[in-house]
Amino acid sequence: MSFSIKSPSFLAIIGPNGSGKSTLIKAALGLIKPAQGTISVLGHDSVKHASKIRKQVRYVPQRDRIELAVPMKVKDIVLMGRLLKKLPPRIASSKDKEVALNALRQVNMDALWNRPFPELSGGQRQRVLVARALAGEGSVLVLDEPLAGTDAESQDLIVDALGRYHRDNDVSIIMITHDLNPIHMMVHDVLLLKNTVIGVGEPCSIMEPELIKSVYGPTAKIVEYSGHRYCLTRDSGFDRHD
Amino acid sequence: MIDIIQVIMTSPFLQRALLAAILVAVIAAASGTFLVFRGLSFMASGVAHAALGGTALGIFLQESGLVPWFDPVLGALLFSVLVSIFTGYAGESGITQKMEVAVGVSFALSMSLAVFLMYYIPPYRVPQIWGYLVGDILLLNNFDIIMLTSTAFLLGIITLMFNKEFVYVSVDMEGSVAHGMNARGYHYLMLIVSALAIALATKAVGAILVYAILVAPAAASNELVKSVRGVIFSVFMIALIAELVGITASFAVYVSPSAIAGILAGLSYVLALQIKRVRDRVRTELPEVDSRPKDVTEPLNQSVSDVHTHNDGSSHVI
Repeated sequence: MSFSIKSPSFLAIIGPNGSGKSTLIKAALGLIKPAQGTISVLGHDSVKHASKIRKQVRYVPQRDRIELAVPMKVKDIVLMGRLLKKLPPRIASSKDKEVALNALRQVNMDALWNRPFPELSGGQRQRVLVARALAGEGSVLVLDEPLAGTDAESQDLIVDALGRYHRDNDVSIIMITHDLNPIHMMVHDVLLLKNTVIGVGEPCSIMEPELIKSVYGPTAKIVEYSGHRYCLTRDSGFDRHD
Repeated sequence: MIDIIQVIMTSPFLQRALLAAILVAVIAAASGTFLVFRGLSFMASGVAHAALGGTALGIFLQESGLVPWFDPVLGALLFSVLVSIFTGYAGESGITQKMEVAVGVSFALSMSLAVFLMYYIPPYRVPQIWGYLVGDILLLNNFDIIMLTSTAFLLGIITLMFNKEFVYVSVDMEGSVAHGMNARGYHYLMLIVSALAIALATKAVGAILVYAILVAPAAASNELVKSVRGVIFSVFMIALIAELVGITASFAVYVSPSAIAGILAGLSYVLALQIKRVRDRVRTELPEVDSRPKDVTEPLNQSVSDVHTHNDGSSHVI
């Protein structure tokens, strides 16, 4: 499969569970090797030159991939975004701390700087992980289901923070999501997957009733509201493969 | 007090035991902490039993004349490293359950191999295999102390240098790889060095002490202490106190110091669970006083009064 979008873009990857959204992203970052063929990201091969790609990438995995048995504080998680790109001993400078605190402010979590991360609610933990990506460096932000299983307040904060960050900085954002509606107004491009590329284009052009029904089944509906098309799929997101 | 110092000064075996207590506490702090963070507490016993299989292989190779220079300790170290590599391979994606299964499988495999080889080595050497698991902190020789010191030193230095990397690998393996850190390298480094330390510590002070001291203090500290550094320090203190009390008690009463240390370490975990439960109870009770926020109360009252005003047979609230 092959597709192209303008850079920098805000791309949403949508599709039902098991359609290959996470697999595509993981293969692009060299976390898994493609069974056949090659993937080129920013001109680099995803297997041979994965390190060059990873220098440019900030990644937020699905929330349940974060191990809660380690007593990390909120600040430790956010600083991770910056320290992972450094060399050992990875000491946080005052600038790192300032950037991290500012990133937390974007998602309204700065007051919890010293809180234990495992004690936060699911939505709060997700906000901290998004802040980790905002605090990092690299021209591509990749987020795997950052809105799944989060409360409405966290969703709004995450969506606003990402939208603002994309507007003010020269970065691309790639977000895997089961629900396009919260970010509908913000994304430039949508990639609809079901084992292969079903469609790529602007949100409203992907929200074709026939196209959506062919992917999500006959119960999927398109609703029009104030000039935009929204999709009701009854998909609940979060789908983990080990 | 002076009497105690005098006793220590005049008994080399006691000096060695005290030194070993400190070294095992260092190993527990550096290795046990991260094993518990990764949900791999089972690895301590898995590696110790794998080392037993390695010892059996070493003795077999020596006795059969196939490789006469092969010391059983080398077999133990080789097997413990193989187990850690196997465990690491199973858990490359960072999933704990897969690593636990790998530990369990290698445990069974090495024990089976040990029992298999026992039929082919002279009976007088069989106790040496089991002896691998039954060390005693009061019966250490200078060679044990040298081995223990070097492994504790190596483990301590590596953990000091790479503790952030080990934490990152434990918290978010996938994210660490994706951000460009050599997470797989640190993942293997952490497991291999831990396995070497566990194998040598088991050889020196015995399995009971290693299981208890490596797992229980780390699990106890992780329940109560809220920072990585705090946990490491707390593990060192609990482990050291348990061992020192064990050694002291063995002078007053006819009892194995490892057993006392093991019981104390185990109890520290039980105590930590209780403290955490009480603490959580206090924390959940407090906010319940006046817990309904104003911005919810007002619309609720409004909505309730709306229902009353519209309560003319219709059940809908508009």
